[in-house]
Amino acid sequence: MKPMNDQRFFDLAMKAIAHQASDAERAELDGLLAGNPALRSELGRLQAEAALAKEALSLVEASTAPAGKLPAYARDRLQTKVWESLGRPVEAGGKPDRSLAWGWRWWLGLAAAATAVIVGLVVFFAPASQVVVQVAVLDLAGTTRGASDADEALLRQTWQGAELRTFAAGDPLGPWLKTWPRNRGGTVVKVLYDRAAGEVQVTGQQAGRMFAKTFTVGAGLAASLKQVEEYLAAETRAKSDPDRRTNR
Amino acid sequence: MELPELAALQHGDETAWDAAFDWLWPTAFAIAQLKLQPFLPEDIEDVAIEALEELVEKVRSVKAVEELKPLAASIAHHRAVSRLRERFAQKRGAGQVESLDKARDGDCPAPEPAAAESALAGLDEAELAGLLAELGADLKPELRGILEDFFVCGLSYEQIAAKRSVAVGTVGVYLKRGLEALRKAGQRQPKLLKELEAFLR
Repeated sequence: MKPMNDQRFFDLAMKAIAHQASDAERAELDGLLAGNPALRSELGRLQAEAALAKEALSLVEASTAPAGKLPAYARDRLQTKVWESLGRPVEAGGKPDRSLAWGWRWWLGLAAAATAVIVGLVVFFAPASQVVVQVAVLDLAGTTRGASDADEALLRQTWQGAELRTFAAGDPLGPWLKTWPRNRGGTVVKVLYDRAAGEVQVTGQQAGRMFAKTFTVGAGLAASLKQVEEYLAAETRAKSDPDRRTNR
Repeated sequence: MELPELAALQHGDETAWDAAFDWLWPTAFAIAQLKLQPFLPEDIEDVAIEALEELVEKVRSVKAVEELKPLAASIAHHRAVSRLRERFAQKRGAGQVESLDKARDGDCPAPEPAAAESALAGLDEAELAGLLAELGADLKPELRGILEDFFVCGLSYEQIAAKRSVAVGTVGVYLKRGLEALRKAGQRQPKLLKELEAFLR
């Protein structure tokens, strides 16, 4: 087919496919197709490509949508997903952050068991700067009230003035884990006691660096919290001792 | 808008992801809306969120941050099509097949009732993302505008010529070029060719 005829056939085919052909154009197309299997085949191909173009171009057009505000609840849900899937950044020393494993266990546990979380916030003053500590207790096994009260009392005693709250089963820990309190120039710390795992996880941020350590509750929670206090005191001092930052 | 760093995203940096979600949300939402608005408008936001959640899972397989937008579009498309298929299957099972010819907002007419039957659904997410990226990059704005006028909005040659201030004959030339570009892009997507061949049978 000559180029000119090629374009004419194309135009007739497009109009026919789009149901825009006039009677005269339809008759002209039929005339071209008569006795020409190659053109019939080409018409079929154009039909398929037109269907594909319609769908693909719709997507391309939509994918360049200029604006739209992400709802706040969606941002929280998505950041929780980031936490679950990717965890926190690896620390400067190259040590993998254990928080990812914690996150998975917590979320799986939350789906399977009643959860009681007691969260508190307390501020204490260390020699170098102000430190904000957030405390949570996770009880996947559904601890008896007496034991829970004892844990709560120990936490209150360790970080006096903490306001404790209890979360119902299924409440997501992700937002609490990823949301750090503001403390301009100071240190922020999260302490989470996983009663079922028998561990206390401590994570903190200080002057752009992160630190983390997990304590096994072997000789009782009181002893472990004492270790946590000592660890935090050491980490807080590290702010004025740069060498310690890379020696963890 | 400055794009977030891929390395930061792959390491789960919260700030980088906040920026990425702001950047990608309009795309995921628009794609979900495109497919679901006439039939399942209440599902649009949920599908868009799910698409970005899946994107988070796949971010470590991405090699350049620019790949994220077409990938988000691709995932949102596939999830929306799946949602439509599930819902229509449920309705068929319950004997409640409602009319699918609901009107669509905007300048273009409603999509065809077979919205859940997508030739592009045969491509996996990476392949569709590649196709969309190629089409987005290869088609000049003027050419893409004319193609959208014809294939998406259903305007006639004459209407497009008037809208774009071009000769009627030029419209056909643009359309032909556009389909050739699509064909070339398809040649780099073997599964897409198979879908076309299946359509021709």
